[in-house]
Amino acid sequence: MTNQPNRGQLPASFRDPSGFLFSRDGILYRQVNHAYEREYARLMESGLYEKLVKAGLLIPHVELDPSSAKSEAAHKVIQPERVAFISYPYEWSFSQLKDTALATLSIQKRALKLGMSLKDASAYNIQFVRGKATLIDTLSFEIYKEGEPWVAYRQFCQHFLAPLALMALKDVRLNQLLRVYIDGVPLDLASELMPAKTRLNFGLLTHIHLHAGAQKKYSGQEVKSRSGTMSKQAMVGLIENLEATIKRLSWAPQGTEWGNYYDITNYSEAAFEHKKELVREWAKRVKPALAWDLGANNGVFSRIVSETAWYVVSFDVDPAAIEQNYQKIKSDKTRNLLPLLLDLTNPSPAIGWANLERDSFASRGPADMVLALAVIHHLAISNNVPLPQLADFFAQTGKWLVIEFVPKQDSQVKKLLASREDIFPNYTKDGFESAFKEKFIIHEAVNVRESERALYLMETK
Amino acid sequence: MHFAPLPYLDPGSGSFLIQLLIAALLGLGVAVRASWGKIKGWFGIKPKADEDDDESAE
Repeated sequence: MTNQPNRGQLPASFRDPSGFLFSRDGILYRQVNHAYEREYARLMESGLYEKLVKAGLLIPHVELDPSSAKSEAAHKVIQPERVAFISYPYEWSFSQLKDTALATLSIQKRALKLGMSLKDASAYNIQFVRGKATLIDTLSFEIYKEGEPWVAYRQFCQHFLAPLALMALKDVRLNQLLRVYIDGVPLDLASELMPAKTRLNFGLLTHIHLHAGAQKKYSGQEVKSRSGTMSKQAMVGLIENLEATIKRLSWAPQGTEWGNYYDITNYSEAAFEHKKELVREWAKRVKPALAWDLGANNGVFSRIVSETAWYVVSFDVDPAAIEQNYQKIKSDKTRNLLPLLLDLTNPSPAIGWANLERDSFASRGPADMVLALAVIHHLAISNNVPLPQLADFFAQTGKWLVIEFVPKQDSQVKKLLASREDIFPNYTKDGFESAFKEKFIIHEAVNVRESERALYLMETK
Repeated sequence: MHFAPLPYLDPGSGSFLIQLLIAALLGLGVAVRASWGKIKGWFGIKPKADEDDDESAE
């Protein structure tokens, strides 16, 4: 997080008057304002905090001396556990978004039992901590008053239900709408894009289609009484229905670009094993804290690095690969691996108010180690990026680089060049090495067994 | 002196009204299920444990 104003208050943390995040000497703190005193006490004393933390649904924190506060409005200062890597809903696969939605509803159900309720339901408040969807905003709770409706209902539908329904029933790529609409997919748009048959599904009919209609009809009108009208039973019914509606949505990867990449790869078992050996050996040598695997596919090499690294983020452009990777993390209970959707040719930008609310891909780095296996030909040939610019990019992205050079003789590159003019005279092993030597020290260069490819271990100069 | 925090999210007029309507309907379902559970209870059938009370989760 490099985009911080001098005062240390995090630029994404301004909406809620209950408190805010600030950083001091690289440590993240949350100030709890006086206005939130009663709610904070209820969270801690009702047993809700303990219950949620135990279930892995809420980030744990420690209370600090309030004299370390940032402003006079401070009631308390807490230090939440640091999240290894902040990710955003437009970078999640279908099941990742589904799990964050279900976590939100599960938290709301548990909160209601102890007299509290979520006052927001933002997908940005959920992060993956030790592989599990976890609420990171400790100040998201209010005291539940029977009769009050769920203030976050609209936000929940926009941030979770609408994109999930669009992904499951229309096209999985529609999660990218979240990159444009920071407060979730507008429901009238979702309603318009969704197939007509979704009107036969009670949950989608009511929470999306009728909801969008009501928004249009009552837009800008004042609602007379905002309280005393919704029983707790009705609230529970609403939450359970949202839960059931979301549980029924599913998406199975098929027919996408690389979903079964490793089955159709052009190199032999021996070459694959040799690559694994080299990556394992070099990861042990570098011992990275944070490693990024760019073009990770379903994460075979990320897993190898995760044996030695503190945390590995596995990026890929293919939603099917991210989905597969996430399912494996869940079944293996892997705690230090996070798969994320990313188009390297157009990575996540900084978005939101003043472009400071959500960090860009680049500003969440650099990593200690970057893996770029079987990816360079896509960037250099499919996307026409000149080799010196690729070297610049990788030098900014991480300190150590494990990169595979895939030459023109390779059948995958031949395929890329089959339908176009070869305008890449410099795309050779020599051209690659001389471009990267400008930015890196090449420590190792090994030809991969039974293949035309070569693997390099480099360190930025 | 305590200031109750005002809701910082706008629930939206339409969202608010439709929520009341849907929830009223769904609340009935919860009520019916609860009474059904009671009736089953008279015959000694125990309700299924709520998964959200499952403390075995990580």
